[in-house]
Amino acid sequence: MIQLENITKEFKTKNGIVKAVDGINLHVKKGEIHGVIGYSGAGKSTLIRCVNLLERPTTGKVFIDHVDITSLSLNDLRKTRQKIGMIFQHFNLLKTATVYNNISIPLKLLGYNDSEVKKRVAKYAEIVGLTEKLDSYPSQLSGGQKQRVAIARALAQEPEILLSDEATSALDPETTDAILELLLKINRELGITILLITHEMNVIQKICDAVSVLESGAVVEYSSAIELFSKPQHPTTRKFLNTISQRNLSPSLIKQLNVSGSVIRLTFLGESTGKPLLAEVSKVYDVQPNILSANIIELKNGIVGNIVVHLHGEAHIVEKALKYFTENGVSIEVLGGELHD
Amino acid sequence: MTSIQSFFADWSDVIGKSILETFQMVGISLLFSILIGIPLGLLIVLTRPGQSFENKFLYQFFNLFINIIRSVPFIILLFFILPFTKLIVGTTIGVKGVIVPLVVYTAPYIARLMETALLEVDPGVVEAYTAMGIKRRHIIWNVLLREARPSIILGLTIATIGLIGATAMAGMVGAGGLGDLAYRYGHLRYEVDVMYATVFILIILVQSIQSLGNRFAAKLKKD
Repeated sequence: MIQLENITKEFKTKNGIVKAVDGINLHVKKGEIHGVIGYSGAGKSTLIRCVNLLERPTTGKVFIDHVDITSLSLNDLRKTRQKIGMIFQHFNLLKTATVYNNISIPLKLLGYNDSEVKKRVAKYAEIVGLTEKLDSYPSQLSGGQKQRVAIARALAQEPEILLSDEATSALDPETTDAILELLLKINRELGITILLITHEMNVIQKICDAVSVLESGAVVEYSSAIELFSKPQHPTTRKFLNTISQRNLSPSLIKQLNVSGSVIRLTFLGESTGKPLLAEVSKVYDVQPNILSANIIELKNGIVGNIVVHLHGEAHIVEKALKYFTENGVSIEVLGGELHD
Repeated sequence: MTSIQSFFADWSDVIGKSILETFQMVGISLLFSILIGIPLGLLIVLTRPGQSFENKFLYQFFNLFINIIRSVPFIILLFFILPFTKLIVGTTIGVKGVIVPLVVYTAPYIARLMETALLEVDPGVVEAYTAMGIKRRHIIWNVLLREARPSIILGLTIATIGLIGATAMAGMVGAGGLGDLAYRYGHLRYEVDVMYATVFILIILVQSIQSLGNRFAAKLKKD
């Protein structure tokens, strides 16, 4: 649906040329919710703005539905943009217009007739749950309601793609959840492909199918959400995971624990989440597990469990116990680097 | 009481005529100034670096042009452009003769006020509309000008009041008006009452215009 090919974007600043995006390839499949996560300054915003050419990439191509839109005329580009809705961190609504007009004005400007405009405003105001607020002005609405207006405005064009530029970053956690819920509904019920950028791991966790981790203008990790949460590869990805669950113990604590055994992180995925493996292991082998921390992360397409456990026992027996875990589909990581007696 | 009655009996014709002249001058020159000033303001905003019709040459040219005209005090401008006035309206005296300098004086001022008003509009909204595939001229009309309306109204209010001040000097070319009345009768002929009355009327006029502008702007502004 969206295919970015070798996108770079340079900005000229007083201190020379800055590469905000540096050779990115990205493929967003039809119907999926693809999340791009990165710290501020990683180039996420520039990247998403390259998708509808609000920002023209310095080099590279942008394919929407297999058409390279970087080579389109302004007129054809406008037509393509009509298929791509976009929502923003700061909503970007007309302050001087009611909710109704905020949704209807773009439709009128795009040439829809009055009855069609009316029909669509009613339909999409209902989908976002704002039917009661059609006569209100943005200043009378809460942040979450403003974002709903923006979403209705984007949906009213009946786009195939929705770009979300930090749409929940200005909202409180509860409102964020409600908006994410809405995006998920849009994706499921209207079949709209969503590309979103965020710096919040819980956004990725709740609604994304696929994830790209961005750092210094490049994708450092790309995988499905489940893979990312169960087998993070890149240090930046791990750092992001730590923001939603404590995955790491401090080195000094691990050292202290290593005096009497090994510290292991077990990651359970899919079927393995249902088995009482820890209990089995302590029966079969001469090891005594002590759970240090445990959590479960519910993703859009599955569940990932994490247990950090202190295994008390001789190193060669612990090794056998770990093998048993692996055979049962649990991935393991020895914290502190090696096994201890 | 009788003195006020006799004052009105003596002066109401003259004052009435002056008010009419002031209204004529302000009304006509405001109309032309808006017709020139708003597009000019729009032009310097749109040709600005980073805007949709970025054009360094045009931007710098109009910027300089506006600054030059705005540097000249009205009383000087009035005489400075006499040949131009003659060329445009065929005369340099009377209400007709003063309209041209008033427009030349006010239009660049309105352009600057427009510039400020338009630059206040959230560029994010323009971006949102661009992302929706909406034509630039539609964006200019339905986003830029629409969102700037409250500031535009306030700007025009300021310009109108400035214009009233400038018309006081119109007497120099025999165009009359309230300022001229206060100057000729009040100052030159020591008819202090006439001066007071004129100043009073001007205060009422400026007050009403400002309140009207404020109220209208507040009605359009929704935050």
